[in-house]
Amino acid sequence: MSALEWLAAALMAGGAFFYLAGTVGLLRFPDAPTRLHALTKADNVGLLLICAALALLAGSLRQALLLLLIWLLALLAATVSAHLIARHAIGDRDAAGDREA
Amino acid sequence: MDLAVDTLLALALVVLAGQSLVGGALFRAIVMFMVFGLTLALAWARLGSPDLAMAEAAIGAGVTGALLLVAHWRLQRLRGTPAPEAAPAASRARARLAAAVALLSAALVAALGLAAVQAVGPGGIAGQALAEALPATGLGNPITGVLVVFRNLDTVLEVAVLLAAYVASRAVLGDADAALPPAQDAPLADALVAVVAPLTVVVGLYLLKAGGQSPGGAFQGGAVLAACGVLLVLSGRLRAAPAGATLRLALVAGTVAFGAVGLGMLALGHPLLALPGTWAVYLIETAMLVSIAVTLALLFAGSAGLAGGRR
Repeated sequence: MSALEWLAAALMAGGAFFYLAGTVGLLRFPDAPTRLHALTKADNVGLLLICAALALLAGSLRQALLLLLIWLLALLAATVSAHLIARHAIGDRDAAGDREA
Repeated sequence: MDLAVDTLLALALVVLAGQSLVGGALFRAIVMFMVFGLTLALAWARLGSPDLAMAEAAIGAGVTGALLLVAHWRLQRLRGTPAPEAAPAASRARARLAAAVALLSAALVAALGLAAVQAVGPGGIAGQALAEALPATGLGNPITGVLVVFRNLDTVLEVAVLLAAYVASRAVLGDADAALPPAQDAPLADALVAVVAPLTVVVGLYLLKAGGQSPGGAFQGGAVLAACGVLLVLSGRLRAAPAGATLRLALVAGTVAFGAVGLGMLALGHPLLALPGTWAVYLIETAMLVSIAVTLALLFAGSAGLAGGRR
């Protein structure tokens, strides 16, 4: 394997490690907000590393840019859905407090 | 290495299917079903079928998942109490009967699988004929060729079935509009819709246009546009409203266009549903895209029509 492929393999291994860490956090943390925190932070970085590895192995600049776009969209979706789940988990009581403040 | 990935995928499919059937709470079963749909899309991709993978992810996991979740929400409202956390314990006789049926089904699937693996095909006659006839249609994607040109009787009936399903849902609901979850009043959700909705429309229309030459097509594009409709309904930008003429036209557009072209060719002396050219393929696919998107979005909203919301 060339140096590029070694680097891509290392990035992918790092990404897999972050996904593993996020899943361990999901399973071990006590309540919804802490689990969401572990999941979104670790999974987004893991996806970034995997997309970076695939971009290195990609055939063209267009594919690399598309992978970057995929990561940005996944980031957006994960952020907003984690925010909405956390709001639901904590309850509308706190959200009402934010609106009055 | 490939075998390891494939075995893991197959095991995951079986485990997820079991979880979505046997799991306790209804909500958990629905979520497991959605994850099962996504894993199945991965399996299709591993088998080298990007069209099927996209259709499974968009329709099987995406739109069907949204429909199941909103049905669960309405069910909880109807019952007035939270859904029971675990299924009531089945009697022992029923459990034994279920086990016997499961064993017989597994044996049947195993026997069919073994026979299929050992069978020797006639040598890909249909595939060869398709490869020879495809360039004459002006299409590059054999799946679109089969769906819209060579076996289009099945497709026109599929679109008619979708219309019939919508009519049946209206008949069941009657005058009452099904309730929708209250619109999310969060600035982040508004920002997400503002960014994602235009992108979704672009992707849906691109899938339609690309379906002629590469993986894509009306079903995938229609499902993606329906997902955009679901997003707009959930964020409050579209709300339930009485049926309007435009939406009624959109609902029947697919069936009418396909049927009109097919019957028109019959009236002109050609065989039924023999398409006159590539322009007919794109016309029919566009009409199908509009019908599929509108039907799925209206099935989610449970209403006869949609109108602009609080914006």
